[in-house]
Formats: sequence, structure tokens, C-alpha cells
Amino acid sequence: MKKRSQWPKMVMLFVAMALVAAACGGDDDAGAGDDTTTTAAAAPAATTTATTEAAPATTMAPEPTTTTEMEMIPCVATIGFIGPITGPVAFIGEVQLNWMQYAVDVLNEELSTEISIVEGDNQFDTAQSATLAAQFVDNADMVATVGPAGSDNVDAAGAVFEDLDPDFSFVSPSSTREGIAATYTGMFRTVPTDADQGPTTADFMIAEGAAKVFLVDDQSSYSTGLSDSTTAALEAGGVEVITESVSQDTTDFSALVSTIPDDADFVYLPWQVAANGQIFANQMAEQGKTMRIFGSDGMDSEDFTTVGSLVAAFAPDIAGIAGSADLLAGFLAEYDDTNTFGPPVFAAVQVIIEATYRVCLTGQTPDRASVQAEIANTDLADSILGSPISFTSDGDLAEGQFFIFEIQEDGTKTLVG
Amino acid sequence: MEFFLQQTVNGLTLGSVYALLALGYSMVYGILKLLNFAHGEVYMFGAFAGYGVLTVLGGSSAPLVPIWLMILLMFVAAVVVSSTIGVALERFAYRPLRNSTRIAPLISAVGASFFLQAAALLLFTANSRSYDAPNLIAIQTGIPIGPIRVWMVRVMVIVTSAVLMILLTLWVNRTRTGKAVRAVSFDREAAAMMGIDVDKVIVITFLIGSALAGVGGVMVGLVFGRVFHLMGFVAGLKAFTAAVVGGIGSIPGAMFGGLLIGFAEAYTTGYISSTFQNLIVFALLVVVLLVRPRGLFGREELVKV
Repeated sequence: MKKRSQWPKMVMLFVAMALVAAACGGDDDAGAGDDTTTTAAAAPAATTTATTEAAPATTMAPEPTTTTEMEMIPCVATIGFIGPITGPVAFIGEVQLNWMQYAVDVLNEELSTEISIVEGDNQFDTAQSATLAAQFVDNADMVATVGPAGSDNVDAAGAVFEDLDPDFSFVSPSSTREGIAATYTGMFRTVPTDADQGPTTADFMIAEGAAKVFLVDDQSSYSTGLSDSTTAALEAGGVEVITESVSQDTTDFSALVSTIPDDADFVYLPWQVAANGQIFANQMAEQGKTMRIFGSDGMDSEDFTTVGSLVAAFAPDIAGIAGSADLLAGFLAEYDDTNTFGPPVFAAVQVIIEATYRVCLTGQTPDRASVQAEIANTDLADSILGSPISFTSDGDLAEGQFFIFEIQEDGTKTLVG
Repeated sequence: MEFFLQQTVNGLTLGSVYALLALGYSMVYGILKLLNFAHGEVYMFGAFAGYGVLTVLGGSSAPLVPIWLMILLMFVAAVVVSSTIGVALERFAYRPLRNSTRIAPLISAVGASFFLQAAALLLFTANSRSYDAPNLIAIQTGIPIGPIRVWMVRVMVIVTSAVLMILLTLWVNRTRTGKAVRAVSFDREAAAMMGIDVDKVIVITFLIGSALAGVGGVMVGLVFGRVFHLMGFVAGLKAFTAAVVGGIGSIPGAMFGGLLIGFAEAYTTGYISSTFQNLIVFALLVVVLLVRPRGLFGREELVKV
């Protein structure tokens, strides 16, 4: 009898192992996974400290005696999440949703609230955002929502909220377009605007003696808005700006890299996909282009590691902030990965839950109008972002600030501006 | 001149990958008159299979085997995974609908595409993975061509694509199975009556087209770095455009179309603006279809009246 070859089975086994490895492995996740195990045990205590420190700082913070009332009257509410859980920028939505769940768990435990989440996947599609907004307004239990992520989606959802129920609050953790918060009664945001980041970035480059900057936007509303504000500030400072544009889906930038003039001082990439920035940097190296890359806050990620490059961030490295580092460790103990879009979600959830909590402390059942009034009154002395959180009358962050880091040989980032 | 040469190399690299992908669209259309919209996802799974092998074998920074062996195994895994998915698609998504209306398999193809995207999202998450090829083959290595130097990975991509395209052409034109593929493509019913196992030929076509897509996926991972669950959509769209420009159903047309789209993208970015890259590529498609509705290499279809 002919003996059957074992090769096909071995090949299939090898391939199956490869796919499993592709699913489990990942340069994005590796570092995080290693670090989290040791810090996980310390996380709950640390998060408690961080949040209790924040709570007394709020303007409406009660005396400790009211905690007893809280124990008697459960503070129950539903909050929404609108984000791109699937679709082209699912890497943002996944991390945002994980931070949302983490924040609700932490704050529910901390404040003895019973806040539940309703998830809405907008797929980064404006039509979906509008539909979700209408669904959320229709949900009588929902007092406010976190999101949407991008400014176009904020516009789509915001119009529906404004039309159906202006008392419905939505706190965006990543919409940065200038002026958008003033358009909608219920909008607040926990990130600074392009009006803050663009000039900060431009000022830094001008101070470094830039005369010519090559700027490439990634055709998202985030990127084009930031591109506009930075270009305006650079040109006002006498810098020549060459602007180009590529889709976020592009992974071959070699033709574009060839067009970078040799006398450019900086290549500015206001991009959301940091991995694309690394590819761009590799292709620059391939063609012998040595000018310095400056990435926006979207590039502030483990995926972008080009030594000597600069990245903007809306917070100092949160791993370096006492309370925030513990929160981060607690998060990484539960979830594999994070990126720059995560911590502002925690801040947004904190804003909503603490506002709800303050309404409960007055003995009222939280409703949209009362929660919105309390959100507007938010005055956190400190936050996961390492800075205070309060809002202007428009709903913008009152003290929005950006930081600039330089990437070092060992992968760490040094604050340079 | 340096700039032109650099853009030519850029276009050739990109065009080589598009050509490999376009071949899959064209071959399947040739025999089934079906637009296999899930082909881009087959390519994406190939890229992930290559990444998986890379990870299993220590990654780009600490490879456990010689680099050449690692790259070879990456290609083998991609070919196995992609061709398995391609054959499974044919068996479960298209064959049951082969004798139904013409629109049914098309809708099935779109559904299969979304299914594979969602499966990849669940399996691999939405995070990008990087082959980190500069760690495998240093960026400084390469072949000087006049004033520019072409990175060894690009050389490998261009040469491998060319070799595969030549082998495919020889296979189609010189082998018995290739002849059967041509016969089925020409007239499926007549081929069946002549004793050709049509089902087998269709399976082989899917297998080869998908294997080429898998190779393309690993090439993209090596030369451009990033693999992610939606990478098949845009690449698939461009390759489909290439197949249509070249004349869908024509193997030389797919190769030529792929290279044409690659060059169009590179020269547009270099000499006009990256902003108009896609506009010009798709305008090219419209112009070609206006002038030659069956594509550059497409043949007039004879219809009995």
C-alpha cells in the first residue's frame, strides 16, 4: 500500500500557526503586553487615588457626608458611545471603546454610580453618525454620549442632536476642528483644537529656523483642518509651505517622497495613521531624504519610531504623570493596546459621569438638561491628560495645550517644546 | 533625469504588484465572466500569512532562520493561505450560483469581500502590522541605476513579478492545463463537450490567481511595510482598474494594465500632484474605455445573431 506523504499536513499546520501568530502577535502590542502584567495589581488603588483627587476639585463637589445619600439612592444612567468600531479607522474606535469601558468601570466603582453604556458603531460614516444620534435621542434613559470621533461625524450627529434635543450633550474625545463646538448647544470636547495645535507646531518650526516646509495631509477632516491652521501660521511667519495630499489608505509614498525638495527643513505630517508615517520615513531613508519629520498628535504612537523626528501631543506622556501612569497600567492590564486617541475618552467619560454624579447628589434623577448644565460647570483640577479640564462657553477645552516631543534612539520621547 | 528614473522605479514597483493582482481578476473573469470582488481580500490574507510566518520565525529584528529562507517561507505561507481561500470562495460562494442570474454571483462576491474583511478584523484586529522590512534587508543595500540606488526589496519585487508573469504566460500557452484554461475561457460549454473537466479548470484558475494575489500581499508588506484588514479594498480597486484598462480577460492586458496604472500614479504624483493621483488614474480608465471599450488588449466578442 502506498504510504501517504505527511508534507501537506505539515504545510497546513505551519500555515495555521502562521495565521494564529499574525492574529496574536504584533509589533504594536508586544511592548504593552509585557509591561502590563507587573503593574496590574497596583492599578486599582492608583486609579482610586487619581479619581478621588479629581472629584473634590469639581466646582459642585459635595462634602463627604453626601456619599451616604449616594449609597441610599443609586445614581443610574445610560451614556452612549459613537465611534468607528469597524470601518476604515477601526483602530481608533476600538481603542476608544476600550477606554470608554475601562473608564466606566473605574468611575462606577469609584463613585458608586450605575452607569451603563450603549455602543454605537458609526464606521466613520456621517450617515451612520446621524442615524445613531437619532437613536440615542430616542433612548429616554440616555443622558449624554461620548463621541463622535472626527469633526465631519460631529457635524452629522450634532445637527441631529441640535434639532431633536439640544439638551443632549455629546463630548467628543477627538474632534479638533476649530469653531465646531460653538455650533452645537450640547457639544463639549476634551481635546484642544487645531487653533491650538497648528500655531504651536508652526511656532516650533519657525523657532528652529525653518524656511521651507513640505506638508502632506491625509485627506481626513482632522488632517486638512490641522494642515490649514499650521500652513496659515507658518506662512504668517514667512515660511514657504509646499502642500500635498494623500489618502489614508495609501501605503506607497515613494513617488511623493521623490518630490520633497532637498532644501526643505521639515516634512510635516498631520496624520491619523502613525504606521503610515513610519512607512513614509522609511521611504525617505530609501531615497536619501534626511529632513526632519514632524508628526501631529495622531502620529504620537508606538507605530512611529523614526529617531530624531518630532511629534505633537495634547498631553505630556501620560505614562509619566503619577495618577495617569497608574490608570494607563490598569488599562493595559485589561486591554492589549492603546494609542493617542484613548486617554481623551477617559477624560470625556469622567466629565459626563461626574456631572451625572453631581446631579444625583442633589437628590434629582439625572436628566439631559441637568447633566448638560453640570458638564458645562466641569472644573477638574487635574485629569488623565495631566492638565485641568473646564470648558469655555462654546464647549471647547478652556486650557488646551500641546506639547512637542523628540523621538530618541531607545524609543523614548523627550519633551522639547 | 534622476527624478524621472526614481519615479520610473517607483511606478514599476507599484505596477508590478497591481499586475499580479490584476491577473487574478482577469483570469477569473476570462473563464467565468465574474468580477471576483473578494480578490483584494485574498491578497490581504496573503499579506497577513506572510506576517504570521515572520512573527513565528522571530520577527525582522531577531530572525531565527536565514533571511532568504524566512522570505521564502513567507511567500509559501501566503500562497497556501490565499489559494485555499480562493478555492474556498469558488466552491462555496460562486459555484452554487454558476447557473443562476449574472448578478447573483456578483452580489455573492461583494458579500464574500465584506465577510473576509470582517473576519480579518476579528482575527487580526484593526491595528496595522508592520513587516519592518528595513530590518530584514537594509535600506542601504541595492543596485545603483545611474544616479539612483534601488533598494534590494524593490529589485526583488520587480524581478519576482516579472518571473511569475513569464511563467504564467508559458503555462497558459505551452501546457495542457493552460490550453484547457484557454478553451474554457473561449467557450465553456464547448470545452465541456470536448471532455475538459470545467470544474477542475475553474478551481485551478482560482488557485493560481489567488496564489499570485498572496505573493503580491507579501511583496506589498515587504516593500511598503503596513498590512491591515482593509488593505485589499483600494489595492483591489486599482488592480481591477488595471485589468479593465488592459482588457479584462486578457492576461497580457492585465500585466500591461497593472504597469500602466503604477506608472500613471508615480508620474502623476511626481509631475502634477499627489492630490490628483486617483483622479488621473480613474480618468485614464474612462479615456481608455471611451477609445477602446474592451480595453487595450481586449478582443471583440463575437455574438451569434
